[in-house]
Amino acid sequence: MNTNLVFGQYYDSDSWLHRLDPRTKITAIFIILASLFLLRKVASLAIALAFVLVLILSSKIPLAKFLASLRAMSVIIFLTVFFQVLFNRGSTAIHTFDFTLTWLNLTFSIALLVLYFLGGRVFRKYRFLQFLALFFLVFFLQAIIPSPLVITKYSITVYKDSLTTSLVVVARILSLIFVSSLLTLTTKPADLNRGLELLLKPLKYIGIKVSVFSMMISITLRFIPTLFLEAQKILKAQASRGVDFKEGKLQQKVTQIVSLLLPMFIISLRKAYDLADTMEVRGYVPGADRTSINLLRFRFIDFVVLLAALGILSGLIALNVMKYAI
Amino acid sequence: MGINFSEVSFAYYVPRKKQKVRFVLKNINLNIKESGEMIALVGHTGSGKSTLVQLMNALLMPTSGEIKIMNERLTRKTKLKPIRKKIGLVFQFPEYQIFETTVLKDIAFGPVNFGVENPEEKARETAKLMGIEELLDRSPFTLSGGQLRKVAISGILASNPDILILDEPTVGLDPSGKRDLLDILVNLRRERNKTIIIITHDMEVVSRYFERVIVLKDGEIIYDGEKDDLLKKEDLYEKYSLDYPETIKLLRAIRKRFGVAIDVNQYTIEDAYQQIRKAFETGL
Repeated sequence: MNTNLVFGQYYDSDSWLHRLDPRTKITAIFIILASLFLLRKVASLAIALAFVLVLILSSKIPLAKFLASLRAMSVIIFLTVFFQVLFNRGSTAIHTFDFTLTWLNLTFSIALLVLYFLGGRVFRKYRFLQFLALFFLVFFLQAIIPSPLVITKYSITVYKDSLTTSLVVVARILSLIFVSSLLTLTTKPADLNRGLELLLKPLKYIGIKVSVFSMMISITLRFIPTLFLEAQKILKAQASRGVDFKEGKLQQKVTQIVSLLLPMFIISLRKAYDLADTMEVRGYVPGADRTSINLLRFRFIDFVVLLAALGILSGLIALNVMKYAI
Repeated sequence: MGINFSEVSFAYYVPRKKQKVRFVLKNINLNIKESGEMIALVGHTGSGKSTLVQLMNALLMPTSGEIKIMNERLTRKTKLKPIRKKIGLVFQFPEYQIFETTVLKDIAFGPVNFGVENPEEKARETAKLMGIEELLDRSPFTLSGGQLRKVAISGILASNPDILILDEPTVGLDPSGKRDLLDILVNLRRERNKTIIIITHDMEVVSRYFERVIVLKDGEIIYDGEKDDLLKKEDLYEKYSLDYPETIKLLRAIRKRFGVAIDVNQYTIEDAYQQIRKAFETGL
């Protein structure tokens, strides 16, 4: 088991993005995210995506890390495109595909699907690409095998509008995800937290104690690895009392999960009390003004980045107001 | 045969690329009988003691080498439950594993999981053995630390394992709790012929209650044999990073100061006193 567990996505490297003040990064990235919603044309979104890719390259983080953050979204992207193509009827049709569902290719398709699920244990990588290949193969088979044993015939017409809309949606989702991963990959969770705390400081004038929330987040981040190790210990202790999470009936499983959760609950509470005591002993007063050991410094490059981001946003707003289609 | 290790090495993390593997245990060869042994496992913090005992009940799998438990070779396909029933492992600070609503239910949790017949009856028997009968109907969360420790140990013992392993069972117990626990362990060996293995740092415990000692240093076994032979060694501290028990320290000091012939290897205060008296009556 890997004991040096790191929480969050942070990828250690040495680039100008890593060195940027977290406050700058958070602000600039929110501005860029907002700007992305102002773009509606394929061409402008393509330029935006290219711009994001340049940022990614300059961050000295392997592209695979960014692609990994797509994993959760890949299904949504797929479904978006799928439904766009099926249901979005525009004026200009591009091509009509004729499909024939026969017993032969139905069996083939089901066999492929079974193979896909059974193969999950052997071919663990690129599951989504495997699924895409399977998906297209199923329709391909229906297009090229028109007989025998026909069940039904149908056709799908692809319109120009559906393609452009899906391109826009895909490009926007890609850029959004990449830009937000840029923030989490180049900033340590603790810095992120500190940056947010400083940015949200003005909220104290309307009675929200930002420093208390930020302390809560820091403590949570700090204790995730500790509690993870404790959980492993409890898991082993219960395993030597015959707990086996792989087998057993539902009722047994519930007891087994309780045997893990309840001790974890008690340990967390105990640690929380201890921590509260030690913090109080060392003079922690909730909500009091305090300084930080790691001072964040605003440098020249931070101004440049902020100005550039603001420039992009205001430029796009101006173009929108002047009724340019972008 | 009980537990049999041959050429066992273990690393928590084996890197994919050809980096150097950091072994926690190296080349362990070990034979432990399934009944009647009293073994103390000693060594520095980080010497691999806890890892070694986790290998013994298949919570961890060896990186290389072979482990046989009750004559059955341990592989990835081995059924683990029967092994864990035969070899009970009590973790350090076992009170954290307690979760049931009553002490009785918690002690019976192991036996129920292992499919032992009459788990409640077994739990009651074990509680009687451990001297915690009167606690059976109480909620575990109202008990003191020492009582919880006994409940947790009962929880393992109730499944009636052949070999009982305890990871630092006496840490954090008061002197009487410590003595009670060790007496119970000695009785288990004497009356039920179980093998008892404990991890400890306490040389008093080792010298008074145990016979065989296994010393681990940097993941390797550097001594495995009789307690008497180990404690006779002159370089115990330098070579094995161990300390002599108090009685031996005292007798050694007297021998050095007065130059009297004295058998220094005494483990109880009474025996040490007899030695000193004998030496001074005849010697001076």
